[in-house]
Amino acid sequence: MSQNRLARSSTPGVSALQKTISKKFLLPFYIIISFLFLFSEKSDFKAIRFLKALINDGITYSVYIVNAPIKLISDLGGSARQYLNFNIILENKKLKDQIEQLNAEKRELQFFKNENDNLKRVLGIKNKDDYVSIYAKIIHEDTNEFAKNLILSIGSNEGVQLGQAIVLNNVYLGKISEVNLFSSKAMIITDLNSRVPVVIPSRGVNAILKGNGLAGAQLLFLPQNAVLENNDQIYTSGSDGIIKEGLYIGKIITDNKKDIKKRKYSVDLGFKEHQLNYVSVLKVKK
Amino acid sequence: MSTFLEKIRFYSAHIIFVLICINDSILINTWIAPGPIINIKYILVFYFSFFDKGRFSITFLFLVGLIFDSLQGMPFGMTSICFILLSILASYLKQRRTQTNFQNEFIAFVISLLITQITSVIILSYFSPAPFEYLLLAINIIVSLVFYPVLRTLLKVLYNY
Repeated sequence: MSQNRLARSSTPGVSALQKTISKKFLLPFYIIISFLFLFSEKSDFKAIRFLKALINDGITYSVYIVNAPIKLISDLGGSARQYLNFNIILENKKLKDQIEQLNAEKRELQFFKNENDNLKRVLGIKNKDDYVSIYAKIIHEDTNEFAKNLILSIGSNEGVQLGQAIVLNNVYLGKISEVNLFSSKAMIITDLNSRVPVVIPSRGVNAILKGNGLAGAQLLFLPQNAVLENNDQIYTSGSDGIIKEGLYIGKIITDNKKDIKKRKYSVDLGFKEHQLNYVSVLKVKK
Repeated sequence: MSTFLEKIRFYSAHIIFVLICINDSILINTWIAPGPIINIKYILVFYFSFFDKGRFSITFLFLVGLIFDSLQGMPFGMTSICFILLSILASYLKQRRTQTNFQNEFIAFVISLLITQITSVIILSYFSPAPFEYLLLAINIIVSLVFYPVLRTLLKVLYNY
Protein backbone atom coordinates (compact mmCIF):
# COMPACT_ATOMS: atom_id res chain seq x y z
CA MET A 1 0.00 0.00 0.00
CA SER A 2 2.68 2.42 1.09
CA GLN A 3 4.74 1.33 -1.91
CA ASN A 4 1.90 2.43 -4.19
CA ARG A 5 1.61 5.71 -2.37
CA LEU A 6 5.33 6.27 -2.87
CA ALA A 7 5.10 5.33 -6.51
CA ARG A 8 2.39 7.91 -7.06
CA SER A 9 4.37 10.64 -5.37
CA SER A 10 7.71 11.82 -6.66
CA THR A 11 10.85 13.57 -5.42
CA PRO A 12 10.28 15.62 -2.22
CA GLY A 13 9.99 19.32 -2.83
CA VAL A 14 9.20 18.66 -6.43
CA SER A 15 5.88 16.92 -5.58
CA ALA A 16 4.44 20.22 -4.34
CA LEU A 17 5.14 21.80 -7.70
CA GLN A 18 3.65 18.81 -9.47
CA LYS A 19 0.42 19.11 -7.54
CA THR A 20 -0.02 22.72 -8.54
CA ILE A 21 0.57 22.07 -12.21
CA SER A 22 -1.65 19.38 -13.64
CA LYS A 23 0.02 16.29 -15.06
CA LYS A 24 -1.29 16.86 -18.56
CA PHE A 25 0.30 20.27 -18.59
CA LEU A 26 3.63 19.14 -17.11
CA LEU A 27 5.08 17.30 -20.11
CA PRO A 28 4.59 20.03 -22.75
CA PHE A 29 5.66 22.59 -20.15
CA TYR A 30 9.08 20.96 -19.66
CA ILE A 31 9.53 20.28 -23.37
CA ILE A 32 8.84 23.96 -24.12
CA ILE A 33 11.19 25.09 -21.33
CA SER A 34 13.91 22.76 -22.66
CA PHE A 35 13.53 24.14 -26.18
CA LEU A 36 13.59 27.70 -24.85
CA PHE A 37 16.88 26.85 -23.14
CA LEU A 38 18.16 25.33 -26.38
CA PHE A 39 17.19 28.37 -28.48
CA SER A 40 18.84 30.61 -25.90
CA GLU A 41 22.12 28.87 -26.84
CA LYS A 42 21.93 30.63 -30.18
CA SER A 43 20.98 34.02 -28.79
CA ASP A 44 23.58 36.52 -27.75
CA PHE A 45 21.61 38.43 -25.11
CA LYS A 46 23.73 39.51 -22.18
CA ALA A 47 20.92 38.85 -19.70
CA ILE A 48 20.52 35.23 -20.88
CA ARG A 49 24.26 34.64 -20.76
CA PHE A 50 24.38 36.10 -17.26
CA LEU A 51 21.46 33.91 -16.13
CA LYS A 52 23.12 30.81 -17.56
CA ALA A 53 26.41 31.70 -15.90
CA LEU A 54 24.55 32.00 -12.57
CA ILE A 55 22.81 28.62 -13.07
CA ASN A 56 26.14 27.02 -14.02
CA ASP A 57 27.83 28.44 -10.92
CA GLY A 58 25.00 27.25 -8.69
CA ILE A 59 25.04 23.73 -10.12
CA THR A 60 28.85 23.51 -10.09
CA TYR A 61 29.21 24.40 -6.42
CA SER A 62 26.21 22.25 -5.39
CA VAL A 63 27.76 19.26 -7.14
CA TYR A 64 31.08 20.01 -5.43
CA ILE A 65 29.36 19.83 -2.03
CA VAL A 66 27.41 16.67 -2.94
CA ASN A 67 30.57 15.01 -4.21
CA ALA A 68 32.73 16.00 -1.24
CA PRO A 69 32.10 12.77 0.79
CA ILE A 70 32.81 10.57 -2.25
CA LYS A 71 36.02 12.44 -2.94
CA LEU A 72 37.03 12.20 0.72
CA ILE A 73 36.60 8.42 0.67
CA SER A 74 38.61 8.01 -2.54
CA ASP A 75 41.33 10.32 -1.15
CA LEU A 76 41.47 8.27 2.05
CA GLY A 77 42.16 5.16 -0.02
CA GLY A 78 45.07 6.92 -1.71
CA SER A 79 46.49 8.15 1.62
CA ALA A 80 46.24 4.67 3.14
CA ARG A 81 48.18 3.21 0.21
CA GLN A 82 50.81 5.92 0.69
CA TYR A 83 51.28 5.09 4.39
CA LEU A 84 51.52 1.39 3.63
CA ASN A 85 54.39 1.99 1.26
CA PHE A 86 57.35 0.34 3.03
CA ASN A 87 59.92 1.48 0.49
CA ILE A 88 59.47 5.04 1.60
CA ILE A 89 63.08 5.53 2.82
CA LEU A 90 64.50 4.27 -0.44
CA GLU A 91 62.03 6.39 -2.39
CA ASN A 92 62.96 9.43 -0.32
CA LYS A 93 66.63 8.99 -1.17
CA LYS A 94 65.84 8.62 -4.86
CA LEU A 95 63.70 11.76 -4.81
CA LYS A 96 66.48 13.74 -3.08
CA ASP A 97 68.90 12.70 -5.82
CA GLN A 98 66.36 13.73 -8.45
CA ILE A 99 65.91 17.13 -6.81
CA GLU A 100 69.68 17.69 -6.85
CA GLN A 101 69.80 16.79 -10.53
CA LEU A 102 66.84 19.05 -11.35
CA ASN A 103 68.40 21.96 -9.45
CA ALA A 104 71.55 21.58 -11.50
CA GLU A 105 69.50 21.60 -14.71
CA LYS A 106 67.58 24.63 -13.49
CA ARG A 107 70.82 26.58 -12.92
CA GLU A 108 71.97 25.64 -16.41
CA LEU A 109 68.61 26.74 -17.88
CA GLN A 110 68.81 30.05 -16.06
CA PHE A 111 72.22 30.61 -17.64
CA PHE A 112 70.81 29.92 -21.13
CA LYS A 113 67.79 32.13 -20.45
CA ASN A 114 70.03 35.06 -19.49
CA GLU A 115 72.18 34.45 -22.56
CA ASN A 116 69.07 34.30 -24.76
CA ASP A 117 67.71 37.54 -23.29
CA ASN A 118 71.04 39.29 -23.92
CA LEU A 119 71.18 38.07 -27.52
CA LYS A 120 67.58 39.22 -28.11
CA ARG A 121 68.46 42.64 -26.73
CA VAL A 122 71.51 42.87 -29.02
CA LEU A 123 69.53 41.74 -32.09
CA GLY A 124 66.56 43.98 -31.22
CA ILE A 125 64.04 41.14 -31.05
CA LYS A 126 60.96 42.11 -29.10
CA ASN A 127 59.93 39.75 -26.32
CA LYS A 128 56.60 38.01 -26.79
CA ASP A 129 53.74 38.45 -24.33
CA ASP A 130 54.48 37.62 -20.73
CA TYR A 131 52.02 35.38 -18.96
CA VAL A 132 50.89 35.19 -15.38
CA SER A 133 49.39 32.04 -13.97
CA ILE A 134 46.27 31.95 -11.82
CA TYR A 135 45.93 29.02 -9.51
CA ALA A 136 42.61 27.11 -9.78
CA LYS A 137 41.10 24.12 -8.05
CA ILE A 138 39.39 21.48 -10.13
CA ILE A 139 35.87 21.30 -8.76
CA HIS A 140 34.60 18.61 -11.07
CA GLU A 141 35.69 16.47 -13.96
CA ASP A 142 33.30 15.07 -16.52
CA THR A 143 33.44 12.88 -19.57
CA ASN A 144 30.70 11.74 -21.91
CA GLU A 145 30.40 10.61 -25.53
CA PHE A 146 30.48 14.21 -26.77
CA ALA A 147 32.83 16.15 -24.47
CA LYS A 148 35.57 16.07 -21.85
CA ASN A 149 35.62 18.89 -19.36
CA LEU A 150 37.28 20.14 -16.22
CA ILE A 151 35.34 22.60 -14.10
CA LEU A 152 37.60 25.13 -12.38
CA SER A 153 36.98 27.21 -9.27
CA ILE A 154 37.72 30.57 -10.91
CA GLY A 155 35.76 32.50 -13.48
CA SER A 156 35.43 36.01 -14.86
CA ASN A 157 35.92 37.34 -11.31
CA GLU A 158 39.63 36.40 -11.67
CA GLY A 159 39.94 37.58 -15.26
CA VAL A 160 39.58 34.17 -16.91
CA GLN A 161 38.76 34.42 -20.62
CA LEU A 162 37.86 32.01 -23.40
CA GLY A 163 40.79 30.25 -25.04
CA GLN A 164 43.28 30.72 -22.20
CA ALA A 165 45.56 27.72 -21.68
CA ILE A 166 45.44 25.60 -18.55
CA VAL A 167 48.68 24.02 -17.42
CA LEU A 168 50.15 21.97 -14.64
CA ASN A 169 53.89 22.35 -14.00
CA ASN A 170 54.28 23.84 -17.50
CA VAL A 171 52.51 20.86 -19.09
CA TYR A 172 49.64 21.89 -21.38
CA LEU A 173 46.31 20.31 -20.37
CA GLY A 174 43.69 22.16 -22.39
CA LYS A 175 41.97 25.50 -22.79
CA ILE A 176 39.09 27.45 -21.30
CA SER A 177 35.88 26.76 -23.22
CA GLU A 178 33.25 28.47 -21.08
CA VAL A 179 33.46 31.21 -18.47
CA ASN A 180 30.94 31.76 -15.68
CA LEU A 181 31.13 34.28 -12.83
CA PHE A 182 32.81 32.10 -10.21
CA SER A 183 33.67 29.00 -12.23
CA SER A 184 34.86 28.10 -15.69
CA LYS A 185 34.99 25.07 -17.94
CA ALA A 186 38.12 23.81 -19.64
CA MET A 187 38.26 21.47 -22.62
CA ILE A 188 40.90 18.79 -22.09
CA ILE A 189 43.42 18.10 -24.86
CA THR A 190 41.90 14.62 -25.37
CA ASP A 191 38.43 16.06 -26.11
CA LEU A 192 37.21 15.29 -29.64
CA ASN A 193 36.92 18.98 -30.44
CA SER A 194 40.38 19.92 -29.17
CA ARG A 195 42.86 21.15 -31.80
CA VAL A 196 46.24 22.51 -30.73
CA PRO A 197 49.02 23.78 -33.01
CA VAL A 198 52.18 21.98 -31.95
CA VAL A 199 55.84 21.78 -32.86
CA ILE A 200 58.36 18.98 -32.54
CA PRO A 201 61.56 21.04 -32.16
CA SER A 202 64.00 18.13 -32.49
CA ARG A 203 62.70 17.47 -36.05
CA GLY A 204 61.59 21.01 -36.93
CA VAL A 205 58.09 19.76 -37.69
CA ASN A 206 54.79 21.55 -37.12
CA ALA A 207 51.43 19.78 -36.82
CA ILE A 208 48.00 19.93 -35.25
CA LEU A 209 47.24 17.77 -32.25
CA LYS A 210 43.66 16.48 -32.18
CA GLY A 211 41.99 14.74 -29.24
CA ASN A 212 40.50 11.30 -29.95
CA GLY A 213 37.70 11.51 -27.38
CA LEU A 214 39.10 8.63 -25.34
CA ALA A 215 42.38 8.96 -23.44
CA GLY A 216 44.76 10.07 -26.19
CA ALA A 217 45.45 12.41 -29.07
CA GLN A 218 46.77 12.15 -32.61
CA LEU A 219 48.92 14.32 -34.90
CA LEU A 220 47.31 15.76 -38.03
CA PHE A 221 48.79 17.60 -41.01
CA LEU A 222 52.28 16.19 -40.55
CA PRO A 223 54.53 16.91 -43.55
CA GLN A 224 54.66 13.87 -45.86
CA ASN A 225 58.40 13.40 -45.47
CA ALA A 226 58.38 13.88 -41.70
CA VAL A 227 60.21 11.18 -39.78
CA LEU A 228 59.65 11.07 -36.05
CA GLU A 229 61.28 8.82 -33.49
CA ASN A 230 60.28 7.53 -30.08
CA ASN A 231 60.51 10.10 -27.27
CA ASP A 232 60.58 13.14 -29.59
CA GLN A 233 59.07 15.85 -27.44
CA ILE A 234 56.01 17.87 -28.46
CA TYR A 235 55.44 21.49 -27.44
CA THR A 236 52.78 24.08 -28.21
CA SER A 237 53.86 26.19 -31.18
CA GLY A 238 51.82 29.25 -30.19
CA SER A 239 51.00 29.85 -33.85
CA ASP A 240 47.33 30.50 -33.04
CA GLY A 241 48.43 33.58 -31.11
CA ILE A 242 46.43 32.59 -28.02
CA ILE A 243 48.22 29.68 -26.41
CA LYS A 244 51.69 30.35 -25.07
CA GLU A 245 54.44 28.71 -27.10
CA GLY A 246 56.81 26.17 -25.62
CA LEU A 247 54.40 24.42 -23.25
CA TYR A 248 55.25 20.74 -22.99
CA ILE A 249 52.53 18.40 -24.26
CA GLY A 250 54.04 14.93 -24.39
CA LYS A 251 56.26 12.65 -26.41
CA ILE A 252 56.00 10.64 -29.59
CA ILE A 253 55.52 6.89 -29.57
CA THR A 254 56.04 5.11 -32.90
CA ASP A 255 55.25 1.56 -33.96
CA ASN A 256 58.93 1.30 -35.12
CA LYS A 257 58.07 0.09 -38.63
CA LYS A 258 61.11 0.16 -40.89
CA ASP A 259 59.11 1.57 -43.79
CA ILE A 260 58.89 5.21 -42.79
CA LYS A 261 55.83 5.86 -44.95
CA LYS A 262 53.83 3.22 -43.11
CA ARG A 263 54.96 4.31 -39.67
CA LYS A 264 52.18 5.37 -37.32
CA TYR A 265 52.59 7.82 -34.47
CA SER A 266 50.76 8.17 -31.21
CA VAL A 267 51.27 10.65 -28.40
CA ASP A 268 52.11 9.89 -24.79
CA LEU A 269 50.62 12.89 -23.02
CA GLY A 270 52.55 14.55 -20.22
CA PHE A 271 49.77 14.25 -17.66
CA LYS A 272 47.41 11.64 -16.33
CA GLU A 273 43.70 12.28 -16.68
CA HIS A 274 41.53 11.91 -13.57
CA GLN A 275 44.58 12.49 -11.35
CA LEU A 276 44.40 16.27 -11.35
CA ASN A 277 43.44 18.42 -8.39
CA TYR A 278 44.86 21.84 -9.16
CA VAL A 279 45.85 23.61 -12.38
CA SER A 280 47.03 27.04 -13.47
CA VAL A 281 45.32 29.26 -16.01
CA LEU A 282 47.76 31.29 -18.14
CA LYS A 283 46.75 34.91 -18.60
CA VAL A 284 48.57 37.53 -20.68
CA LYS A 285 50.30 40.05 -18.41
CA LYS A 286 49.07 43.56 -19.15
CA MET B 1 10.10 1.66 10.62
CA SER B 2 9.18 -0.39 7.57
CA THR B 3 7.73 2.72 5.91
CA PHE B 4 11.01 4.50 6.53
CA LEU B 5 12.98 1.62 5.00
CA GLU B 6 10.62 1.55 2.04
CA LYS B 7 11.18 5.27 1.55
CA ILE B 8 14.95 4.77 1.61
CA ARG B 9 14.64 1.94 -0.88
CA PHE B 10 12.39 4.05 -3.08
CA TYR B 11 14.63 7.12 -3.13
CA SER B 12 17.86 5.12 -3.38
CA ALA B 13 17.21 4.84 -7.13
CA HIS B 14 17.02 8.63 -7.37
CA ILE B 15 20.24 9.05 -5.39
CA ILE B 16 22.08 6.44 -7.47
CA PHE B 17 20.85 8.06 -10.68
CA VAL B 18 21.92 11.58 -9.64
CA LEU B 19 25.34 10.38 -8.43
CA ILE B 20 25.92 8.46 -11.67
CA CYS B 21 24.92 11.48 -13.74
CA ILE B 22 27.29 13.83 -11.93
CA ASN B 23 30.13 11.31 -11.70
CA ASP B 24 29.72 9.77 -15.12
CA SER B 25 33.40 9.89 -15.96
CA ILE B 26 34.94 8.98 -12.62
CA LEU B 27 32.69 6.11 -11.59
CA ILE B 28 32.13 4.43 -14.91
CA ASN B 29 34.24 5.65 -17.76
CA THR B 30 37.61 5.32 -16.07
CA TRP B 31 37.07 2.25 -13.94
CA ILE B 32 35.31 0.06 -16.47
CA ALA B 33 36.50 1.44 -19.80
CA PRO B 34 39.17 3.86 -21.05
CA GLY B 35 36.64 6.38 -22.31
CA PRO B 36 33.03 7.50 -22.49
CA ILE B 37 31.63 4.28 -23.93
CA ILE B 38 28.91 3.16 -21.53
CA ASN B 39 25.73 5.12 -21.08
CA ILE B 40 24.55 3.96 -17.66
CA LYS B 41 22.29 6.95 -17.13
CA TYR B 42 20.13 6.01 -20.13
CA ILE B 43 19.97 2.39 -18.95
CA LEU B 44 18.73 3.55 -15.53
CA VAL B 45 16.09 5.87 -16.99
CA PHE B 46 14.85 3.14 -19.31
CA TYR B 47 14.82 0.44 -16.64
CA PHE B 48 12.88 2.43 -14.06
CA SER B 49 10.46 3.85 -16.63
CA PHE B 50 9.84 0.40 -18.08
CA PHE B 51 9.24 -1.42 -14.80
CA ASP B 52 8.05 1.35 -12.50
CA LYS B 53 6.53 4.25 -14.37
CA GLY B 54 5.98 6.48 -11.33
CA ARG B 55 9.46 6.27 -9.89
CA PHE B 56 11.29 8.91 -11.93
CA SER B 57 8.93 11.83 -12.40
CA ILE B 58 9.23 14.11 -15.43
CA THR B 59 10.23 17.01 -13.17
CA PHE B 60 13.01 14.96 -11.64
CA LEU B 61 14.31 13.88 -15.07
CA PHE B 62 14.13 17.46 -16.32
CA LEU B 63 16.15 18.81 -13.38
CA VAL B 64 18.80 16.07 -13.51
CA GLY B 65 19.10 16.65 -17.26
CA LEU B 66 19.79 20.33 -16.65
CA ILE B 67 22.44 19.50 -14.04
CA PHE B 68 24.07 17.08 -16.47
CA ASP B 69 24.08 19.62 -19.31
CA SER B 70 25.57 22.27 -17.08
CA LEU B 71 28.39 19.98 -15.96
CA GLN B 72 29.14 18.54 -19.36
CA GLY B 73 28.94 21.77 -21.34
CA MET B 74 26.11 20.43 -23.50
CA PRO B 75 23.42 22.73 -24.92
CA PHE B 76 21.08 23.49 -22.00
CA GLY B 77 17.95 21.33 -22.16
CA MET B 78 19.32 18.62 -24.47
CA THR B 79 19.69 15.88 -21.86
CA SER B 80 16.37 16.84 -20.25
CA ILE B 81 14.60 16.25 -23.56
CA CYS B 82 16.49 12.96 -24.05
CA PHE B 83 15.66 11.70 -20.54
CA ILE B 84 11.97 12.63 -20.89
CA LEU B 85 11.77 11.09 -24.37
CA LEU B 86 13.44 7.88 -23.20
CA SER B 87 11.10 7.65 -20.24
CA ILE B 88 7.99 8.18 -22.39
CA LEU B 89 9.21 5.66 -24.99
CA ALA B 90 9.95 3.06 -22.32
CA SER B 91 6.56 3.33 -20.65
CA TYR B 92 4.76 3.44 -24.02
CA LEU B 93 6.53 0.33 -25.29
CA LYS B 94 5.79 -1.43 -22.02
CA GLN B 95 2.08 -0.61 -22.38
CA ARG B 96 1.96 -1.99 -25.93
CA ARG B 97 3.33 -5.37 -24.86
CA THR B 98 0.95 -7.69 -23.10
CA GLN B 99 3.71 -10.12 -22.29
CA THR B 100 6.98 -8.81 -20.89
CA ASN B 101 9.87 -11.18 -21.29
CA PHE B 102 13.52 -10.27 -21.66
CA GLN B 103 13.36 -10.34 -25.46
CA ASN B 104 10.57 -7.77 -25.62
CA GLU B 105 12.27 -5.66 -23.00
CA PHE B 106 15.58 -5.68 -24.86
CA ILE B 107 13.94 -4.77 -28.19
CA ALA B 108 12.16 -1.89 -26.43
CA PHE B 109 15.52 -0.76 -25.02
CA VAL B 110 17.17 -0.89 -28.46
CA ILE B 111 14.37 1.15 -30.04
CA SER B 112 14.29 3.70 -27.20
CA LEU B 113 18.07 4.11 -27.07
CA LEU B 114 18.38 4.56 -30.83
CA ILE B 115 15.59 7.14 -30.99
CA THR B 116 17.04 9.01 -27.99
CA GLN B 117 20.57 9.06 -29.39
CA ILE B 118 19.33 10.18 -32.83
CA THR B 119 17.44 13.00 -31.09
CA SER B 120 20.54 14.00 -29.16
CA VAL B 121 22.58 14.04 -32.39
CA ILE B 122 19.95 16.21 -34.14
CA ILE B 123 19.82 18.64 -31.21
CA LEU B 124 23.59 18.74 -30.91
CA SER B 125 24.19 19.32 -34.60
CA TYR B 126 21.62 22.12 -34.66
CA PHE B 127 22.35 23.89 -31.38
CA SER B 128 26.06 23.28 -30.79
CA PRO B 129 28.87 24.43 -33.09
CA ALA B 130 31.21 21.68 -31.85
CA PRO B 131 31.55 18.62 -34.11
CA PHE B 132 31.34 15.09 -32.75
CA GLU B 133 32.54 11.63 -33.75
CA TYR B 134 29.87 9.26 -35.08
CA LEU B 135 32.14 6.26 -34.46
CA LEU B 136 32.40 7.04 -30.75
CA LEU B 137 28.63 7.45 -30.58
CA ALA B 138 28.14 4.10 -32.32
CA ILE B 139 30.55 2.44 -29.87
CA ASN B 140 28.65 4.08 -27.02
CA ILE B 141 25.33 2.65 -28.26
CA ILE B 142 26.71 -0.84 -28.89
CA VAL B 143 28.51 -1.10 -25.53
CA SER B 144 25.43 0.23 -23.74
CA LEU B 145 23.35 -2.49 -25.42
CA VAL B 146 25.87 -5.17 -24.47
CA PHE B 147 26.08 -3.85 -20.93
CA TYR B 148 22.29 -3.61 -20.48
CA PRO B 149 21.63 -7.25 -19.46
CA VAL B 150 24.37 -7.06 -16.80
CA LEU B 151 23.05 -3.86 -15.23
CA ARG B 152 19.46 -5.05 -15.57
CA THR B 153 20.26 -8.24 -13.64
CA LEU B 154 21.91 -6.17 -10.92
CA LEU B 155 18.92 -3.83 -10.70
CA LYS B 156 16.54 -6.82 -10.63
CA VAL B 157 18.36 -8.16 -7.60
CA LEU B 158 18.29 -4.74 -5.89
CA TYR B 159 14.74 -3.68 -6.73
CA ASN B 160 13.03 -7.00 -7.38
CA TYR B 161 10.72 -6.13 -10.31
